[in-house]
Amino acid sequence: MQVFLQTLIGGVTFGAVYALVAMGFSIVYRTMGLVNFAHGSVVMIGAYAASTFYMATHVPFAIAIVVAIAVTGLIGLVIERFLRPLENKDFTLMLIGTIGFGAVLEAGAVLVWGATGHAVPSPVATEPLDLAGVRIPTYNLVVISVAALATGLLALFLQRTKRGAAMQAVAMDHQAATAVGIHVGRSNAMAFAIGAGLAALAGSLIGPMLYVNPTMGGTLGIKGFAAAMLGGFGSMPGAIVGGVAFGLLDAFAAGNFQEYSELVTFLVFAVVVMIRPTGIFGEATVNRA
Amino acid sequence: MKRLAFLVPVGVAAWLLPYGLGGYSMHVVAVAIIFAILAVGLGLTMGVAGQINLAQVAFFGVGAYTVAILCTRAGFGFWSAAVLALLVSVVFGVLVGIPALRMQSHYLGIVTLGLALAFTNWVTNATVAGRAEGISDIPVPVLFGLELSSAYLFYYVELVVFALALAFALFVTHSPLGRRLRAMRDDDLAAGALGAEIPLLRMTAFVLSGVYGGLAGVLYAGLIRFVAPESFNIANMFLLLAMVIIGGRASILGCVVGALALAAVREALLDVSAYAQLGYGIVVVLVVVFAPTGLAGLPHQFRRLLRRHGSGARLRLGPFQPYEQVAHAGDGENVLEVQGVTMRFKGLVALDDVSLTVPPGQIRGVVGPNGSGKTTLFNIVSGFYTPSAGKVRLRGLDVTGARPYRLSLRGVARTFQNLRLFEDLNVRENILLGLDRTRTSWIWRYAGLPWKVFGYQRALDARADEIIARFGLADFADAVPRALPYGIQRRVETARAMAMSPSLLLLDEPAAGLNGEEVRQLAEIVRSIRDSGATVVVIEHNMGLVMSLCDRITVLASGKVIAEGTPAEVAIAPAVVQAYLGDSMAAPTETAVEEATR
Repeated sequence: MQVFLQTLIGGVTFGAVYALVAMGFSIVYRTMGLVNFAHGSVVMIGAYAASTFYMATHVPFAIAIVVAIAVTGLIGLVIERFLRPLENKDFTLMLIGTIGFGAVLEAGAVLVWGATGHAVPSPVATEPLDLAGVRIPTYNLVVISVAALATGLLALFLQRTKRGAAMQAVAMDHQAATAVGIHVGRSNAMAFAIGAGLAALAGSLIGPMLYVNPTMGGTLGIKGFAAAMLGGFGSMPGAIVGGVAFGLLDAFAAGNFQEYSELVTFLVFAVVVMIRPTGIFGEATVNRA
Repeated sequence: MKRLAFLVPVGVAAWLLPYGLGGYSMHVVAVAIIFAILAVGLGLTMGVAGQINLAQVAFFGVGAYTVAILCTRAGFGFWSAAVLALLVSVVFGVLVGIPALRMQSHYLGIVTLGLALAFTNWVTNATVAGRAEGISDIPVPVLFGLELSSAYLFYYVELVVFALALAFALFVTHSPLGRRLRAMRDDDLAAGALGAEIPLLRMTAFVLSGVYGGLAGVLYAGLIRFVAPESFNIANMFLLLAMVIIGGRASILGCVVGALALAAVREALLDVSAYAQLGYGIVVVLVVVFAPTGLAGLPHQFRRLLRRHGSGARLRLGPFQPYEQVAHAGDGENVLEVQGVTMRFKGLVALDDVSLTVPPGQIRGVVGPNGSGKTTLFNIVSGFYTPSAGKVRLRGLDVTGARPYRLSLRGVARTFQNLRLFEDLNVRENILLGLDRTRTSWIWRYAGLPWKVFGYQRALDARADEIIARFGLADFADAVPRALPYGIQRRVETARAMAMSPSLLLLDEPAAGLNGEEVRQLAEIVRSIRDSGATVVVIEHNMGLVMSLCDRITVLASGKVIAEGTPAEVAIAPAVVQAYLGDSMAAPTETAVEEATR
């Protein structure tokens, strides 16, 4: 039981990070129909930016995160500007273009930070909480609450502000949105910047729990993507549920299959999406002739 | 064939190449050829068939590891292990391809990538696969008593395999199968309606991917005689993808050029690999944005730039040459029977207990306000939707819920409201797709009896010429549809449907966007099609056309049949008048009907 609860806590923590990554994927996907395969690499850049700034200047971790978000937001804008000619046109090409950007970011990280990576000290230096024999690292609680807060803010932005509403409109029908005077390009750019910001948040948070290195983006990106798919691509609640579900799947696979956890995780994932390609909250697509 | 003549000097040069190379360069070339085989496989699956397969490098690994494991752990000889390895990677291809039956594009990309990661995870941890250290003592392959221990000797084995693999890939892309794969890539719905068995075609793409991956893996195991997980990781998958994109994904030769070029660049930049990766990434992004067809497409892009300044001869749509009249088979069996069909989308009832019967040789009009369920009815009859209730019969045979390709092979052809021509295929190829009536299970001939395929292709070509001439499209045969005026695109779609020699032709708003003269020609074409022995059902908003063309008319409103009869009967039916004009309008007078039917 204790092992179970311990795994559960770990799963939910990583799940919260996957949910952030998945939300970043989803907000870009729903506004511009672009699947951003570079997202994982943006997460990695975020992790590097936050940890480097945090360790070099010793400012509070929160400020380091804000810096990381600013850096990746800019990168997001650049990627969006480059791929704008392909928007709403060729899906496969855009997808490959973002894979290309991912490679650029990864190579850039190797050039800037070296290939080996570094460990990040935990920014919360208190003892783990002890709840009926289950030890919960305080940092895990920080991760979960920050992720929840970011989710809440994003939901508020999308539902309560004019810009958020405009973004939703673009997501539903970009032509109609243009017709009512929304600048689709600007809205897309903002979606991309927000997505990249979420990636940086996820990267900064996961830095102290993992070893920050240039290839971490690949795995994190794929897991976040898988989480988004599990929840239903483009759906915000789906991203959250999918993220936590994937975190749990990952944690329990690691607990039961040790080194084969990745194998088990992706096999289970493949079977689940085979059975339900639209995910938990995804809408059933109807073939239109 | 003449276009491939340049391959002869290339082949001779490749044969003589080892004489001018040092030991290390020979090794580099030998590895480059392995990547070229992989790239051809990825080009076939991704470029030609449009399946985003990010597991190609795993198929490569499966081939190499199977050889290594069978040789070192089970005492197999190299060549028997190679044959088994090829089989195993094909099985792997099929397994990885199964998700493609349910999902496409980015979904498929992420699932195949996940499965590739699962493979790397297994080989890094399984004792039988030598864990992270890999397997290093693969025996030297012996061929005709010759030990292929040096890259020089092995190069010739590779060259022969590569030549055969390339020839087969070119053969497939230029055959009816390749055309169907490309059609599926452009628009799988329309391809299905033309008789392409989409699930089987997707599996075929993944089988091809497995074959090429396995071949490359076997050669790799024989050449390097050492396998380790990092040779099959995601970075190499990206390199492979870059090769295919930069070379031109839809062109097999482009993929080969991309692979050889990038393999050479990779070798030159081995000491600064981070810069090299940065370079590939940037080049991929630039290619995607500015030259989406890659190196292979550059000559064409260049030629188009030049041609813009020259003046081309004005192209003209020729007259339609009517079909010969054929008496309708008088067995009296109805061609189409729709019985009590209801279609619900979640809460919305699009069709509510719709019945209609069309006897042979009739032109039946289906009219009704927008949203009345006309196209939904077509989608049910052509197999895109399975009705929630009710039955559809073709000549008495129950076909409710049959897949589009089955209905197509049974003689149901359709056109689409918004035109669904294959944009990357020219007019002739669009028509050839309609002519190709083979089941996909016919494809075993590609491996077994390739000369039969050539014969079949020639027969199709002759019939395509006939149809192109009949529909007056000779001037446009080599143009891609999007370059043509709308009216001509409509005619191409009708010609494509008629290429299927249908017994039932469904036309969805064939006159939309046509001018008066084109509408007149359309009426003439449809009448001739009926006279040739087909039965026609037409959805149309152009009342003048419907009234003059159709023998009987069915009127739909809000998913229900509200009237059926001859044009004159329907035009004055009170329910129809109400549906179109509202209650307050008076019923039209007899003269108005005459006006409309004229």
